[in-house]
Amino acid sequence: MRERRPSPGDAPENPSGGRDQGPRRSPRDVWGGVAFVLLAIGAFAYGWRVTRIDLGELVTKAHLVRPLVRDLLRPEVLERVPRVQEATVTVSLAGPAPPTRPGRTPWRLEVSHRTVRVGQEVELRGQGFAPHRPGRLVWRDATGAPSGLLQFTTDSQGGFQLRVRIPDTLGDRGELVAVVELQETTWRPSETLRLVAERMVETVFLALMGTAMGVVFAVPLSFLGARNLAHGPVGLALYGASRTVLNVFRSVEPLILATVFAVWVGIGPFAGVLALGVHSVASLGKLYSEAIEAIDPGPIEAVEATGASRLQVIRYAVIPQIVPQFIAFTIYRWDINVRMSTVIGFVGGGGIGFLLMQYINLLLWQKAATAVWAITVVVALLDYASARVRERVV
Amino acid sequence: MAEPFVKVEHLTKVYPGGVRALDDVSFEVFRGEFVVVIGLSGSGKSTLLRCINRLVEPTAGRVWIDGVEVTALDREGVRRLRREVGMIFQQFNLVKRLPVLTNVLTGRLGYLPPWWSLVNYWPPEVVQQALEALDRVGIREKAGVRADQLSGGQQQRVGIARALMQQPKLILADEPVASLDPATSHSVLRYVEELNRQEGITVLCSLHFLSLARRYGTRVLALKEGRLVFDGPPGEIDPRRFREIYGEDAVEVEIA
Repeated sequence: MRERRPSPGDAPENPSGGRDQGPRRSPRDVWGGVAFVLLAIGAFAYGWRVTRIDLGELVTKAHLVRPLVRDLLRPEVLERVPRVQEATVTVSLAGPAPPTRPGRTPWRLEVSHRTVRVGQEVELRGQGFAPHRPGRLVWRDATGAPSGLLQFTTDSQGGFQLRVRIPDTLGDRGELVAVVELQETTWRPSETLRLVAERMVETVFLALMGTAMGVVFAVPLSFLGARNLAHGPVGLALYGASRTVLNVFRSVEPLILATVFAVWVGIGPFAGVLALGVHSVASLGKLYSEAIEAIDPGPIEAVEATGASRLQVIRYAVIPQIVPQFIAFTIYRWDINVRMSTVIGFVGGGGIGFLLMQYINLLLWQKAATAVWAITVVVALLDYASARVRERVV
Repeated sequence: MAEPFVKVEHLTKVYPGGVRALDDVSFEVFRGEFVVVIGLSGSGKSTLLRCINRLVEPTAGRVWIDGVEVTALDREGVRRLRREVGMIFQQFNLVKRLPVLTNVLTGRLGYLPPWWSLVNYWPPEVVQQALEALDRVGIREKAGVRADQLSGGQQQRVGIARALMQQPKLILADEPVASLDPATSHSVLRYVEELNRQEGITVLCSLHFLSLARRYGTRVLALKEGRLVFDGPPGEIDPRRFREIYGEDAVEVEIA
């Protein structure tokens, strides 16, 4: 066989019109071109005005964004807290006092009465603490909930004497805790980081559950929606139906889905799972069915020719060809869902997005920055991991 | 004269696009023959073979295999018939990601309950049979290798082993060596020939090269634009006939 070679006469027309030969441009073409250019200029001019583009603002208003950017670059990851000396005594509000555990520390707290009533005044003596340091006395009720009672300063010997009233409290016992702050400080993960980490885990699992929900429904739909597997009038009808379902679902923004589900099942991660799930059904269904349509028809024909049934053909000729793509698409979807769940959270889908939105609304930029960085790190890690896994399976 | 094993009567196939791939083709094949179908690309060889096991639905005409009218069978009947008709393909059509052994085993699917496939269960005797089939084509040691790791010639031998698993009465081979080099072509065709001679399996095989047709065929059918233009022993194809089949400009190429 010989391919038709383009002859010199087939060379494409030089668009700049620099050639003498060839068909001349008619005046209509020229005016058409001018009209097009004018129209384009008009459209961009109008667009510039309605979108109020003002490049100067980028410079003149830079001072407004500077603090924000600075805060975003300083996320609350670790916080510096003073080291403390802590001592506790337990008192009982009913019956005999609980046994005292001898403290291992050199600083000690003693109380005048071990069995007390609400409102009773007791005397506290502390000794062995750091001298001249601020301290606070805290009441911890039977559930462990703390409430501050008073503040004090240790004397030159590192001791103190306090009189306090036992506060109205829950349960029949409580603890008096003396906390003396030292000059030295120590680092610990910030409260924000802990909360962000918790929500991040929630987000990753939210995305996982949404993806799982997508897979469960997308697999059967994709087989029905693959053109090469649709045989006969019933098959074609199912093909059309599932394609329609997939297209309709896919055209609904996940943001809108999340809003609807947040109203339906309440704000929280479950609404996010449902929103991502429905969206994943649509997008995975389409990717899967395209993967099925792209398979080599040869093995199918060969297995059909051995007298195998429909089920056997799918099991031995179709599935082995699509499994790698299915795995790759599913991991990819999970990856996308983690990103998407951030935005989903903004409209009530739970997860880190919901937390981030609260921080932003309260103008807590450093906390928001913690969330943003956490999202960036997790997404980048997942992206890398999913790319590696996809490389290996395909 | 004996009853023909394969009988094709007035077979016509018109594809939806209006292409007339087969035009009133009639012939008979007798048990144990090695019939080679020749003709240019697009002359209808593939369509002819596929109409015989109804991978392609004929537009008109009738086909019998061993006294059964294939063209009158329902879906289940076609499935049962296909079990006994092995097929070998130009592109081998193995499932590339599956091991060689599984590819061979699929030849037996028609005889096994479909739900066994859900758990990938194969009875031990069927596995044994598959290993023997691989032994027969000389690549038993490749049983555990993924099909796409094999060379073209080895892949086609897997294709033959798969057909062998069906214990077929008839083998349809659609240009089985068109993707292979000359030396490998001969080794593959010799396996097919061996099955034909030793097991008495009737073979209907399309080939590109007349030299191969002469070497392996006991009879040659020639198609030109969907019409049967020659039916006779390979020796009868003289230069004049050759030009009739392949066109005025054709030159015969020898394959070693």
